[in-house]
Amino acid sequence: MKSLSLLIIAMFLVSCDHGLAPPPSVEPGFGGTLYFEKGTWPSPDSLNSLWLFASQVYPLDSVKVVQGLISNPPTIYLYPASDKSLPFNVDSVSYSFSPPVATYKYVGVIQRFANDINVHSLRVVGVYATNDTPPLPIPVIVNEGVFTPGISFRVNFYKPPPQPF
Amino acid sequence: MKALTINIALCLVWCSALVCQPAHGTLKGSIKDAETGQAVVGANVTLQGTFLGAATDANGKFSIARVPVGSYALTVSMIGYERIRLDGVKSVADEATTLDIQIHSSPIQSEPVIVTANRREQSFQEVPVSVATVSAKMIADRNNVTLDDALRYVPGVNMMSDQVNIRGSTGYNRGVGSRVLVLLDGLPYITGDTGEINWETIPMFEVERIEIVKGAGSALYGSSALGGVINVITRETPAQPEFRFRAFSGLYDKPQYPEWQWTTKPRFNSGVIGSYAGGTGSLKYLVSVGRTVDESFRENDTYQRWSLFAKAKYDLSSSQSLTIAGNYLYRTHGNFFWWNSLQEPLRPAESQRNGLVTSDRGNISVAYKEFVSDKLFYTVKGIYFGNFWRDDSSGRVNNVSTSHLFSVDAQATYDMNSSHTLTFGFASNYDRVEANLFGTHPGVGAAVYAQDEMGVTGELKLTAGLRFDWERVSVLKATAQLNPKVGLVYMPDKETSIRASFGSGFRYPAIGELYIESSTNVSAVAVLPNPDLKVESSLSYEVGINRSIGSMIVVDVAAFRNDFKDLIEPSVQIKQYRPNPSSTYEVEGPVIQFDNVTKAMIEGVEADVRVEWWKKWFSTEIGYTYTWPWDVGDNVILKFRPRHILYAGGLLSWNRVRASVDFRFLSRIERIDENLVRLAPIVDGDARVAIKIVDVRASYDLIDLGYPLRIGFNINNLLNYSYVELLGNLGPVRTYYLTVEGLF
Repeated sequence: MKSLSLLIIAMFLVSCDHGLAPPPSVEPGFGGTLYFEKGTWPSPDSLNSLWLFASQVYPLDSVKVVQGLISNPPTIYLYPASDKSLPFNVDSVSYSFSPPVATYKYVGVIQRFANDINVHSLRVVGVYATNDTPPLPIPVIVNEGVFTPGISFRVNFYKPPPQPF
Repeated sequence: MKALTINIALCLVWCSALVCQPAHGTLKGSIKDAETGQAVVGANVTLQGTFLGAATDANGKFSIARVPVGSYALTVSMIGYERIRLDGVKSVADEATTLDIQIHSSPIQSEPVIVTANRREQSFQEVPVSVATVSAKMIADRNNVTLDDALRYVPGVNMMSDQVNIRGSTGYNRGVGSRVLVLLDGLPYITGDTGEINWETIPMFEVERIEIVKGAGSALYGSSALGGVINVITRETPAQPEFRFRAFSGLYDKPQYPEWQWTTKPRFNSGVIGSYAGGTGSLKYLVSVGRTVDESFRENDTYQRWSLFAKAKYDLSSSQSLTIAGNYLYRTHGNFFWWNSLQEPLRPAESQRNGLVTSDRGNISVAYKEFVSDKLFYTVKGIYFGNFWRDDSSGRVNNVSTSHLFSVDAQATYDMNSSHTLTFGFASNYDRVEANLFGTHPGVGAAVYAQDEMGVTGELKLTAGLRFDWERVSVLKATAQLNPKVGLVYMPDKETSIRASFGSGFRYPAIGELYIESSTNVSAVAVLPNPDLKVESSLSYEVGINRSIGSMIVVDVAAFRNDFKDLIEPSVQIKQYRPNPSSTYEVEGPVIQFDNVTKAMIEGVEADVRVEWWKKWFSTEIGYTYTWPWDVGDNVILKFRPRHILYAGGLLSWNRVRASVDFRFLSRIERIDENLVRLAPIVDGDARVAIKIVDVRASYDLIDLGYPLRIGFNINNLLNYSYVELLGNLGPVRTYYLTVEGLF
C-alpha cells in the first residue's frame, strides 16, 4: 500500500511542470551564421556588395527581383541595408535579421559583382536549403513575437546554387 | 360427407404437425459464487451450438425455455469469474432440468472471452498473442465519446491525435493509410479513399467491448493488420425491452497561460444519446440516436454530430440467426490543421480560420450465423461502408470525396475433435472512390484463409494459419500476398500461460496515397500521386507469460519484435510537376509524395500488472511498454515514436460509488520529420514534450433513492498539462464533465 501511495504522489509530481510554455516575447526575425568556404572568395574587383536576402516570392525571375526590391512594401528584404554590405574575406559572420512578419520562401546570400545595379550584376551564392541535389530552399517564417535562431548555411563562391533569374 | 373428409384431412395435417415438432424441455437453475455462496447476478448462460441462453436475475437464477430435446454443452461466463463449461447437460421432453452451478472468481476483472485473436471464442489464457480489452463500463466511466479516446488508456497503444499506433507500428500520416485494422463486429471498417479509421462513426454507446490484438494479424484479417487489429463488438440486442440514455456537459478550463487565451467566452462540449431496445418473439432490435456539440477549446475546431445506430436480430430457429445493423453519422467540423504558433497555439494558422469539413458516413451490415451442430458453425457477413466528405473554405467548396466499400466474409469453424479446431473462410471486397483529390478509381480484392488449432498435449496448444490475398486497384497491376501465422500456448498449471507467436502483416497502399494530387491543399508544397507504391509488410514475433499470483495479482509480460519493410510515408522530393492539374507547363520544385521510404525494426518489452485490493473494492493496473524503434535504412531512431509508454490507473468500487484515476505518460518523441515542419510550414512545429496526463472521475448510483440513474463527474487533464500528440496541435486543456446515465 505504501508503494501505491508513493506511485500516486510520483504521478502528480511528474506532471507538475505544466509541459509546453509560450516562448518569451522577442523582436520577430531570424538569425544564424553564414559560413564562407575558405579559398573561394572572389577577387576584390568582382565583389562590390554582399547581402543576406529574404524573399517572400519563389521562384524568382528578373522582373520579380526588381519588383520585389522596389515595390511598397517590398517582398524582398536585404541585410544589411542596400547601402551597406556583409564583411568580405571572413570565414563566418553571425547575423540577426528582422524583416516584417511573413513567410520567406527563399533566403540566401546575394553577391553584386559590378557597379551597375541590375539583375545582370547579381548572383546568388548561397541558399538556406536542404541537403538534396539540387538543394531545396527552406521557407523561413517570421511570426509575431518569434525569433528563429539557427538559420545557418554555407556560401561557396565557386559553387553557387541554381540561379533563380 | 365432403365436409367431413376435409375436417378429417385438416385434423391429420394438424396432428402430423404436432407430431413432427421437436419435443422441448426447460433448463433452469442458479449460479453461485463458489467461495461466498452468494448469487451471481448477470452471468451469461449459453448452450453451445445454439443461440439459446439466458442471464441470471437478481437472485442468481436463470431459465432457458424451449430447448430441443438432446444433450448440450452449457457454458457460464461472467466478468471477474472463470468461464466454465458443463458437457452432457440433457434437455428432457416437457420437463425442467435443474442445475445449481458454482463458479470461481478469477483474480482479475478480465473479459472471459476473446474472439478476435483466432476468429472464435477463446478464454484470455488460450490466446497466443497479446490482447487487451476495453469494456463498456470503462467507456462509460471515462465518458469516451469516440473510440480513439477509449484507446488512450490501453498499454502499448498511443494516439497521435486521431491516428492509432500499436507498439510503434505507425508514424506520422495524419490518419491516411492506417497500419492498424479496425473491425466493426468482425468486418473491416477502413475508409475506401484514404484507408483511414473513422473513429466518430463507431457507435460507442452500443459497444459491448473492444478487443485490441497487438502484432501483425494479416494471416486472418488481410490488409492493414500490420501493427494490430482492433475489433469493436457491439452489444447484443437485450432480451427485455429497455430505454437507456447518457447525457453529458463539459466545460473547458482556461489554458495554462493567459496569453494563450483566444476568447473570453466559456467553451462547452455536450451531448445526449438515447437508446431503445425492444422486440417480440424471435425478433429483437435496438435503435439509438445521438447528438453531440463541441465548441472546442481551440478556434475553428468546433464540431456538431448527429448519429444513428440500429441493430436487429432475428432468430430463425434455435440454431440460425440473422442480424442486420447500420449506422449513420452527419458531422460538420472546423478545419484546425495546426496552430498559428506556440505564441497562439489555440488559434489555427491564418489559412485555416474559415475552413469547414462536412461529412456523411454510414454503413449497413448483414450477418447470418448457423450452428450446423455443436461442433460446426458458419457465418456469412457483408458490410457496405459509405463515406462522403467535403471541405469548404470561405464558402468555396475545396475538396470533395465519395467512397463506397463493400466487404463480404464467409467463415466456418469446425471442432473436429478435442485435438483440432479448424477455422477457414473466404473474404472479398470492392471499393470505388470518386474525389477531386484522388480521381475516380475502383478496387477489388479477394482472399481465402484457413487455420488449425491443435492440442499437442493437454498443456500445449499449437495454432497454424495461412491466408492468401489478391487485390487490384484501378488500372494498376494486381498483387498477391501470402501471410502465415504460428502460435503456441503452454499452460503448465491453472495460473500460468506461456505464449509465443509469429505472424506477418501487409497493407495495400490506399487509393488516397496512390493518387492524391493537390497543388496547395495539404501544405504550401504541392502533393503528387505515386502509382508505383509497393505493398508495405511486417513480420511480428512475440513471447509472453501471463501468471496469476494468489487471488489478487495478475502479471503479464511480453517481449516483441516487429520488422517492417517498404513503409509508406510522405516524403519531400525535388521534381518537375504541373502547378495544377489543368496546367500545360511544368515547374521544378519541392513536392510531397507518398513513397516506400523506410525499413524499420521495432523491438520492445511490455509488462502489465493488475492488483485487486480489499475484497476487490479497489483495483490498480500499471502497464509499461518500452520500444526501441529503429530506422534500419538510415540507421537512426524511427521518427514519431515514443520510446516509453506508461499507464497507471486505480478504481474504487464501493457500494454505489465508483471513483477512479488514470495517469498516462509518453516519453518525448525523439525524432520528427523536420522537412514537414519547414515545408508545411508549421511555426514552432518541432515544439514537443513528454506527455503526462492525469484524469479523475467519480460516479454515484441513485438506485437506492428510487431513481435508475447514475451521475458522474469527470476532470480530464486535471493538472492542465500542455502537450502535443500531433505536430502543431495542443492537446485538450483541463475539462470538467458532468454525466448522467439512466436505464429504464
